[in-house]
Amino acid sequence: MSVSPDNKNPRDWKALLTRHEMLLLYVLIAEWLFFYFAGTTTNRRGVVVGFGTLDRQFDILRHSCEIGLLALALTPVIITAGIDLSIGSLLGLCAILFGKLWHDGGLPIPVAAGLTLALGALAGGLNAILITALRLPPLIVTLGTYSLFRGLAEAITHGAITYTDFPASFLFVGQERWLGLPTQAWIFLGVALGVGLLVHRTTFGRAFRTIGFSLEGARYAGLPVARRLALVYVLAGLIAAIAAVIYTARLGQAKADAGTGYELFAITAVVLGGTSIFGGSGTVHGTLLGVAAIAVLKNGLACLPVVMRMNAAEEMSGLLTGALLLLALTASVLPKILSRFRTPHHAPAP
Amino acid sequence: MKRFFRELSVLGALAAVLVGMAIFAPAFFSPQPLLSLLTREAPTLIVACGMACVIITRQIDISVGSMFSVCSVCAGLLAARGWPLLLVLPASVALGALLGAVNGLLVAGLRLPSIVVTLATMVTLRQGLNLVRQGEFVNLPDRVQWFGLSQMAGQLVLVGASVVFLVALALAMRHVAAGRFVYAVGTDAEAARLAGIRPQLVTFLVFIFIGALTGLAAMMNLAQSPQVQPLSGAGLELKVIAAVVVGGVAISGGRGNLWGAFTGLLLLACVSPALIHLHIEAYWEKAIQGAIILLAVVADGLRTRKLNR
Repeated sequence: MSVSPDNKNPRDWKALLTRHEMLLLYVLIAEWLFFYFAGTTTNRRGVVVGFGTLDRQFDILRHSCEIGLLALALTPVIITAGIDLSIGSLLGLCAILFGKLWHDGGLPIPVAAGLTLALGALAGGLNAILITALRLPPLIVTLGTYSLFRGLAEAITHGAITYTDFPASFLFVGQERWLGLPTQAWIFLGVALGVGLLVHRTTFGRAFRTIGFSLEGARYAGLPVARRLALVYVLAGLIAAIAAVIYTARLGQAKADAGTGYELFAITAVVLGGTSIFGGSGTVHGTLLGVAAIAVLKNGLACLPVVMRMNAAEEMSGLLTGALLLLALTASVLPKILSRFRTPHHAPAP
Repeated sequence: MKRFFRELSVLGALAAVLVGMAIFAPAFFSPQPLLSLLTREAPTLIVACGMACVIITRQIDISVGSMFSVCSVCAGLLAARGWPLLLVLPASVALGALLGAVNGLLVAGLRLPSIVVTLATMVTLRQGLNLVRQGEFVNLPDRVQWFGLSQMAGQLVLVGASVVFLVALALAMRHVAAGRFVYAVGTDAEAARLAGIRPQLVTFLVFIFIGALTGLAAMMNLAQSPQVQPLSGAGLELKVIAAVVVGGVAISGGRGNLWGAFTGLLLLACVSPALIHLHIEAYWEKAIQGAIILLAVVADGLRTRKLNR
């Protein structure tokens, strides 16, 4: 784990216990306990159902893989002070391309999956070229590709075709367990490990933080800013394609609206995890905790009796995630705002 | 001439499309369909005016689609309860302004990035609306459609009002101090502050402004059909941002004007009739919209690169 300057002293346990990630862990535990007690019931035959079952815990893990992957893709992007709004749409486009390559192209599943990953990286490359070569703001570029990728997915399927009937050996990836965990969780953990090493254990990660802290400064320091930024967006495209394959395997179908709105969940997870939306700092383990907090919320809500009666789990989780993002953002800037009020007016601004 | 090169090139593109339509699909120019097209775009124009102001201050608001839906449904419910239109209109505008104020408070007060704030409010409002209404339509009383006028008169009123508003706002942006403040803040917030402008206040007011305009646009849309669809505003944000960016308003703030945004909107509005004529299916619309946004920003990027050399 990265050593931040404020807790270099290992005996400084107080600082460690009040770090952002630890605070998030407490919230996560409290959230889990709440749903454990409020969302677990016994049915008429005396069997425990709802949130408290082991199956449900595996379900949470299963459902969090796709959003988790997108959040992992976004973490380096946001650390460089960028944003990628297109990953949810790219998930949809890649799911369709994968289905089309397999179904209409007649390719075997592994080849189709490999090609899909390459196409995902290529789509990320489109973002990368526009952002680095032309120095356009990532916000508007990825807003354009957000519309473009989803539109292409709809155009390819005419808004109606859904690819189904995938072989059982492929569905194994999305619906079965391997070595005790849902199969796709292993892929998720592998990608998490890879991104974690990239961000925390290589000079690439340090370059990301430097760029996010000050783009011009990074340029003057001699960092290859354009190449590092390009890497971040290509990687995001690649990971979105992995998420698309896993999504298809879990649902057993590929359709054009796959991953709609996932970018919100992913951004929320990253911001909850303590990555600064202004760039320059952030951790992968924080993002993983953020993903867990959102996944538990999403699944826990579906187990609450009151939400089940209203049949509104989808709307509730969207609503609460949006509110959660606003809350996390506010909390992240609150110390700065408060210190501004505390500073006497005659003191020089920091 | 050189100063308005960007706006003039969009105007040229629009003229080319119109000439093409005149040659290959002259039916496009018959008065009634043309008036209908303009009427459909009138609410979009109003929101685009607000979006131009927001982007000129170097911010963005992608929650307009959700605000539009919320205002439409609330105004529809009030009208269905028997409120007179003269009261529903200000209520809708006030609701929009209130929602805009929430965005403004978060962006200007807490200095959070507007893209993330409005992404969050976009989803929160949309899902909140779905939760409360479950996608139900609102049936409107008869006198609401076309404000109780004939269809022709109603359409003329809507188009006329939106054009008058556009002209007034475009002149105000250029000749009234408040309009110059918007440009000043977007060009350089720090310099604006040193010149005695309060950038955060201007940003806050701009978000209220776009909210109020969205409420107004929702009303203008309400008058066009006998029912309110809760999904009527979905995707509005992309359409409006595309129009504004195509029209030469720079996403980096401080540059562009409402005439450009208006031309951009007209150009985009001609795309879907042109697509029908070219026998391209409607599924392509979203992809083409995205491609047009990218094309416009690439053109801007290439141009600034050339200027910097």
